Amino acid sequence: MPDIHAAGWGRRTVLAATAALAMPRIARAAANPLKIGIPTILSGPIALLGTSSRGAIQPEIDRINAAGGLLGRQIQPIFRDSKGQPQEAARVARELINTDGCEILLDAEASSGAYAVQEVVRDLGVLCLHSNSETSSLTADPKLRVATAFRCARQGVHDAIVGGAHSAKVATAKKLSKWATCSPDYAFGRDTTAQFLEFLKHFKPDIEVVSQGWPKLGAPDFTEVITKILQAKPQALYSALYAGDLSAFVNQGNVYALFSAMQVFVPAMGDLPVLTAVKSLPAGIQSANRYLPTFPATADNAAWGAAYRKANDNAYPTNWSWENATAMRFIEAAVTKAGSTDGKKAAAALEGMTIDSPFSITGKVTMRAEDHTLIDYAIGWGTTVPKDPFVVDMEPGDWGQIAELEKEWKKTNGYI
Amino acid sequence: MGRIFRDIAIGILAIAVLAAVPHLIPGKAFQDFVIRCSSMALFATSLNLLVGYTGLSSFGHGLFFGLGTYSFALLMQRTGISLPMAFIATLLINAVTAVAVGAICIRLRLIYFAFVTLAMQMLMHSIIISWVGLTGGDQGLQGGIPRRVVAGIDLGNQYNLYIFAAVVLVIGLLIMRHIVNTSFGTSLRMIRDNEARASFLGIVVWRVKLTVFVLSAVFASVGGIVMSLFVSGAYPELINWPISGDAIFAIVMGGVGSFLGPTVGTMILLLLNDVVTRQTEYYGLALGIIILAFALGLRRGLLDFITERLGGRPAGGIS
Repeated sequence: MPDIHAAGWGRRTVLAATAALAMPRIARAAANPLKIGIPTILSGPIALLGTSSRGAIQPEIDRINAAGGLLGRQIQPIFRDSKGQPQEAARVARELINTDGCEILLDAEASSGAYAVQEVVRDLGVLCLHSNSETSSLTADPKLRVATAFRCARQGVHDAIVGGAHSAKVATAKKLSKWATCSPDYAFGRDTTAQFLEFLKHFKPDIEVVSQGWPKLGAPDFTEVITKILQAKPQALYSALYAGDLSAFVNQGNVYALFSAMQVFVPAMGDLPVLTAVKSLPAGIQSANRYLPTFPATADNAAWGAAYRKANDNAYPTNWSWENATAMRFIEAAVTKAGSTDGKKAAAALEGMTIDSPFSITGKVTMRAEDHTLIDYAIGWGTTVPKDPFVVDMEPGDWGQIAELEKEWKKTNGYI
Repeated sequence: MGRIFRDIAIGILAIAVLAAVPHLIPGKAFQDFVIRCSSMALFATSLNLLVGYTGLSSFGHGLFFGLGTYSFALLMQRTGISLPMAFIATLLINAVTAVAVGAICIRLRLIYFAFVTLAMQMLMHSIIISWVGLTGGDQGLQGGIPRRVVAGIDLGNQYNLYIFAAVVLVIGLLIMRHIVNTSFGTSLRMIRDNEARASFLGIVVWRVKLTVFVLSAVFASVGGIVMSLFVSGAYPELINWPISGDAIFAIVMGGVGSFLGPTVGTMILLLLNDVVTRQTEYYGLALGIIILAFALGLRRGLLDFITERLGGRPAGGIS
């Protein structure tokens, strides 16, 4: 080792020289931020998807930046509104990579936009995490899969399996055999309902569907469909309605005493913006969790929910919020492990990765390697009560059972 | 004949300039812009064959743009045919559809024509949404477009797609310009200005109207094909009624009376979209104010305004 004193260098000289050498590196880190492109929906009727995604992503980025950034670079998110149009989502995704210099995409689009972004990712080969698309085929169908794209969101088939198992259990206990359904009249509503009934019949084959109503998306008046359901006199009702449509349906259903006439199952009820938008929340509705600060009932989850509200003017987090927070944490872990933002390297690091998470019963979530999708997140069903915490007696789904039946479902659909 | 050669020369020059630009400007944003512009400009110009040159205000022209995206994407996904064959088959599908739709619509006039064309588009949109097994319903046609190769050139490469879109745009505009400059184009303007007089002069009005309806549908579908290649799929939003509104906005902003007005309008519309979307979430509000400024300030499209300021009269101008 050379003797710096012998060379006539004082301590201050060495410090100054070190600082001088380090300065350009520090300046470069500040001047060379790691840009993450986030196409999402920030305007129109489902702007809540984008705003509640952004509300979860920004605090995660602030945390990472405060700790020195990712690979020594400060993260700069670029949010862009696709207006809910798939062709615009594709354009925005291209623009974020080609023009704005983003190295990673956190695609917070709804399903149709996510499919459009998936094709852009296929072309450009960047790391992409879809954080809001629940449509199963995005990652289940090998024809649609892309090597550097992942889904960091709950999945329709997982909800259908857990919903089917839980509903069959309740139906058996309460002897519910005559069922009605009421779901939005478009692919999501019809597919989700068909999948739910498929798994419900798997667990309880003796059920009979006596009425099916398909209100239009955004329909202001549910009178016709509610009276149709009441006339059919079912013992149980399943509904895939969500968000504003769901709160309108519950408010109008209360007028007709719908919820005391039958046992109601609504998977999307367990989201705080919906629960708080209903004027008089009926007790006893069976609902899955979307995001609940009480499920899983851990200090970490409650703290995350409280921190979200503090960072977002007391707004409630949504299902999209936890999914995006998780996506940001996976990006952080994968890029750190790979030591690079290169699509292939980061994707290789992300495949099969498990991270700590407040949104899991076990405290950990995994990005499944075989189909690039999130598993082990908190998924369960409970019963509504009129006041905070709104949904109680949550029963978690069994991930062993989910994996087994999901495999069967994939075989049936020719995906494996 | 001289005009044709001049137009072709300008077209070749335009392609040469466009081919050179990416070598001078780094980044791919310009290429993306030109690809989208090519698609929408063909669509808007084809609509102007009806609106500006024939006086037929179609509110449902997006039917053919969207049908172009779906037919092309489906042919590429579901059949083994090559891209050029799928291109031609898409034009044929649209031409046949346009004959059927046009046969119903062209006998109507003014607002009735406008609303029946809109109804036809909404009907097709409903079919696309409902036929989930074929079209993917409201999720759109997923899975990408395979075999994007023309004469050994892979259109999966961005620069190749950019050149392809530029060439298709120039050829499309040249053909449409030729159409409006022929005696057929004169017949269109006569029908627009005085349908009864055109009929008395021996023009079979319904035949001319149907022909231009079919031609405009075919060119709109070419725009749809380019869009399909750009987004690598087809989505219900591309056949929904607001897409027809975009083409009408492009014509209004660029100029209904100038041949290149819809192209200029498309450039303005897309630039506004890109710039405003980068700055604010209130895109609709900003666009509304700008369109109001065009309508109340210029009182005509930009190119029509410039042409008149320079002392000319727009060639396709409505008298």
